[in-house]
Amino acid sequence: MEVVRVEGLGKTYPGGTKALEGVSFSIDRGEIFCLLGRNGAGKTTLLRILATQLKPTVGRASVLGHDVLTDPRAIRPHIAVVPQEARPQMLLSPYDHIFYMCLIRGRSRADAKERTRKVMDDLGLWEHRDKLAADLSGGLRQRLIIAMAMVADPEVLFLDEPTIGLDPLGRRSVWAMLRGLTKKGATILLTTHYLDEAEVLADHLLIVDKGRTAFLGTVDEAKGDTGVGMRVIMEPAAGNGSAAPEVLEPKSSEEILAIVERGLREKRKVTFKPASLEDAFIKIVGGSIEVENT
Amino acid sequence: MKSKIREAMYIGLFDALPLLRDPMLLVVISLFSFLPVIFIFVFADQASAVQSLIGAIVLTFSFTGLFASQSVFFNKQWFRFQDMFVASKVSPASYALGLSLSGLVVALPGVVVALVLLVLSGTSSATGVVLLLGTSILLWIGLVFVGFAIGATTKNARRANSIPQVLSIALGFLPPVYYPLSRLPAIAQPIAMLIPTTHAAQLAKYYFGLISIPASEVAIGWAYLIGFAALMGFIASRRAHWVDP
Repeated sequence: MEVVRVEGLGKTYPGGTKALEGVSFSIDRGEIFCLLGRNGAGKTTLLRILATQLKPTVGRASVLGHDVLTDPRAIRPHIAVVPQEARPQMLLSPYDHIFYMCLIRGRSRADAKERTRKVMDDLGLWEHRDKLAADLSGGLRQRLIIAMAMVADPEVLFLDEPTIGLDPLGRRSVWAMLRGLTKKGATILLTTHYLDEAEVLADHLLIVDKGRTAFLGTVDEAKGDTGVGMRVIMEPAAGNGSAAPEVLEPKSSEEILAIVERGLREKRKVTFKPASLEDAFIKIVGGSIEVENT
Repeated sequence: MKSKIREAMYIGLFDALPLLRDPMLLVVISLFSFLPVIFIFVFADQASAVQSLIGAIVLTFSFTGLFASQSVFFNKQWFRFQDMFVASKVSPASYALGLSLSGLVVALPGVVVALVLLVLSGTSSATGVVLLLGTSILLWIGLVFVGFAIGATTKNARRANSIPQVLSIALGFLPPVYYPLSRLPAIAQPIAMLIPTTHAAQLAKYYFGLISIPASEVAIGWAYLIGFAALMGFIASRRAHWVDP
């Protein structure tokens, strides 16, 4: 079942800056959909439009069957947002933040206490419940902001760079939590700069570049479409240490064999690596980077 | 309706919570407007002290209105809680009411103490107290709108802190709020009457029988405060956005 539908969406800010242009995609229930792109590519603009925080100027977008522009009030009770660069109130405890967010979202005090405990346990915050947010590490603060969104038990969760500042274990606990949510039927749209995160989490991904769709599909399709199924790194020959290693992308078994033979002949170390989403991403948006650099 | 009031109450409490959790800071902030009263009481007569006490009550309301700008700015630009509230069933009216009331929660202890002192001084009547609160609340509404307009327009945390403080001096400490209008030179008095806090203080002092002003000036005072609140409400509605354009 389709939860998010976007058709020809565009946004030009009042100052004239064009942030999005002709973006179209859809997200099914229970999916994790990742938005990727360079800084200023339009990811946050797109997320904020879908979270009913920003008005689009062109095109249409609907969430849970309701139009974001004409019927946002039907959407809002069923969604939650982790905004980019959100910060906790430093003079309050994690418990205060989460408990009051439960109350503000309409839970009774008894229900709010129960939900606060559950969310804090899930995110490993319970042991820090009475500390001031000012005394928490950056990772715990970020987890606290995520917890504030989680209290809603949303059908659609929007996260704008949610794992920034988290250590590897913290990131993995957020990933597990997001996967757990999708198993219960929640749909997640997240923006990230961590391509390994998108590679692990994304059922589908959209790469935006300068406000336009640069790629839409799965991670495997991104790697396949860009021809980076495998990377081979050939170190310089002995005695030529200052030269840069060659990075090759063989497309057939014959090419792989040829590279191996060449490595043996020239006595060069050859390393085979599976291509990552980062390789595909660079290939997809790299054209624009090169153009900018010339 | 009940759920909207509940939302507003919890948003207000959440916004005021850092101060409510720190009673020492709460006492200092809630008594801030009353500090000049102590000096006037020490250096002048009791009648002047009572005038200044009334002025302090008026100013407590006006400061809490003005400082709504900080709540608006920090919830929107710094903590980004506004974005979290937009993406929920919280209504913009509950949010605005909650942030407006959070300052009052903090100021209330000081106002209660001042009202008790006024009763003890023997100068107050029930009507006087009601009309004092009426003028103060009307002024507060106007300045809450000013606070929302400033908070929504400010993009810089430094300005978000400094602008309301500068305005609080211009609206609170300079005009004849703690002291009588008659203390100003004749040439400065019409200028003072351009400031909303002067009108609120004049009305409050009049209803306590501390000054005598013609009925026309009383009517002008109320009209000014209503007009000020309406104008500031219009400006705030154009500046402060729930959903960004």
